[in-house]
Amino acid sequence: MTPVKTATSGAQDAGRPRPPEPPDPVVPSTSSAERQAIAEQFGLTKMGVRPPLWTYIKDVARRGAFIRVLGMSSAYARNQNTYLGQLWAVLNPILNAAVYVLIFGMLLNVSRGVDNTIAFIVIGVFLFRFVEQSVNGGAQSIAKRSNLIRSLHFPRAVLPLSNVMSHLTTLVPALLVMCLIVLGSGLLPDYEPVPVTWQWLLLIPAVGMLWVFNMGLAFVMARLVAITPDLDNVISFILRLAMYGSGVIFPVVRYVSELPEWMQGWMGTILEFQPIAVYLYLGRSSLMNEEGFPQEPLMWALGAAWAVVFFVVGFIIFWRGEERYGRD
Amino acid sequence: MTDDVAEADAHLDFDLEDESDDAGEHAESIPLGDPCLVVDDLHIVFRVFGGKKRESAKKQGLHVQDATPVRRNPVKRLLGAGRQHVGAVSEVHAVRGVSFTARHGESIGIVGINGSGKSTLLRAITGLIPPHTGSVYVDGEPALLGVNAALMPQMTGAKNIEIGGLALGMTPRQIDEKFDEVVEFADIGDFVDMPMRTYSSGMAARLRFAISSAAVPDILMVDEALATGDAAFKARSKARIEEVREQAGTVFLVSHSISTIEAMCTRVLWMHQGQLVMDGPVEEVTEAYRAFVRAHRQARSSARAGGRRQNRQDGQSRQDRQRRS
Repeated sequence: MTPVKTATSGAQDAGRPRPPEPPDPVVPSTSSAERQAIAEQFGLTKMGVRPPLWTYIKDVARRGAFIRVLGMSSAYARNQNTYLGQLWAVLNPILNAAVYVLIFGMLLNVSRGVDNTIAFIVIGVFLFRFVEQSVNGGAQSIAKRSNLIRSLHFPRAVLPLSNVMSHLTTLVPALLVMCLIVLGSGLLPDYEPVPVTWQWLLLIPAVGMLWVFNMGLAFVMARLVAITPDLDNVISFILRLAMYGSGVIFPVVRYVSELPEWMQGWMGTILEFQPIAVYLYLGRSSLMNEEGFPQEPLMWALGAAWAVVFFVVGFIIFWRGEERYGRD
Repeated sequence: MTDDVAEADAHLDFDLEDESDDAGEHAESIPLGDPCLVVDDLHIVFRVFGGKKRESAKKQGLHVQDATPVRRNPVKRLLGAGRQHVGAVSEVHAVRGVSFTARHGESIGIVGINGSGKSTLLRAITGLIPPHTGSVYVDGEPALLGVNAALMPQMTGAKNIEIGGLALGMTPRQIDEKFDEVVEFADIGDFVDMPMRTYSSGMAARLRFAISSAAVPDILMVDEALATGDAAFKARSKARIEEVREQAGTVFLVSHSISTIEAMCTRVLWMHQGQLVMDGPVEEVTEAYRAFVRAHRQARSSARAGGRRQNRQDGQSRQDRQRRS
């Protein structure tokens, strides 16, 4: 083994001309303070500084069309390379729900007094999927698009927003199918018929609030994963915990009575009033005509509160990292 | 062993296009205005996950590219193996303390061999990569001629014009107004309704250029955009850049082709290993740079005076010649 050759050492082959040296670095003719004075004198603005919150909000609002077009295009592009194409946006959650109905609804029978298990699980799975996609998509919206961030100027909040928008676009047709499944479940022999009432329209504000909530979640995840990419690996576990803890496939709240007594109080409150459980409740109370899910003003108020809190806090958290996105 | 040399050479790979159709042309000088861009002691540091060279670079006091991996005895290697793969975060100092001032009406070329920090510098003065230390002051909004990253190959050309325009900060109405102009400039005809991934590389490049030059920025940054496309398109894009320059004042151009730089710029910055080694009028800097690159190439080819590598080198230069002719 001879010593490693490099472009600069060249001790081994002395006959070889050495690579040329470039000139020494330029010594600037002005000092740092002078340059800053020039910048100030001609009214130049400093780059890479986070804009004030209000300016930032206006910037983002002006990019509304960009958010919409980018979101819808990426929703379309996601399912474009398959034979069934856009149909997968609907087929995917149906298959997902079918698996859960089969295992939890029929084999394990964990319904605990819920009459229409199919409607319960289908609504839970479809709505929770939106949360899941927003968290995952939000987490990657900055981290996976550093190329775009390093090429163009725009408020970075556009990226998580358009990502959630893309999932909303695929959610809308899926929700129509969800309603049809709920309706169809009433035709099965063991189930009571499901009437279509005006209450069904309440699904729209419920999903609207969920959307606002998801944008807040996406903001937080975007910043966390952009700064610490490792967190991306933890997300799937947290999401699974959230799925079982929110009663997506079985009414987890009704299991609280089986817990030790000292836990029942606070555990029950958390399980019932945490945001995801609230939105699932709102969705179910709109579509399911069951005594277990009456319309509750408290839940609607909570849903609105969670949405506003998450969105505002998430936006501010995201904005505070604005100047750091794009630097590895 | 020989692989090490090949690796070191790969970093130094560059093109020097001497004979080109724009040889002999010169940029017309426009009277200089007030300063519009001040770069003050700019440093850019990248975080690299899983890199290993930094330690040795630090020890040898060299730029990362020149550092050789430290040779350690097998026991130490075994013990340290975990550290290379778990929690191995290293830093690459891509731009190291650059300062300069640019004025309205200037057209500035940036030259340097591959990996010298040209593109990073360009992106940093556009504000796209936040500085590690130091600062950039600017008048107006600089724009990089690179809408590429926003476009989606699965979507049609028409949709991409919309996405690209919006990404550049145009309003939907402005895009509607410019739509026909962009299609015409890109010369893609009916392909505008086909997904972009079906385009030939020339068509895609033309469309990208047409979209990104649709919005007229205050400071225009061009990063190797002229390398693609045929001669007619080159001429058109050159005219477009000239037009932007007359309106906006300042153009930055990164190119490996010295003749393009000579034809389009009034001032040249020469970057080497993240530092600014020369800053001055076109002829002065390009002459020095040309001499440097020639010497570099000679040093490299004589270093390769041995069997297999010699052949490869020959093959490469033959390819080079073919490409040029």
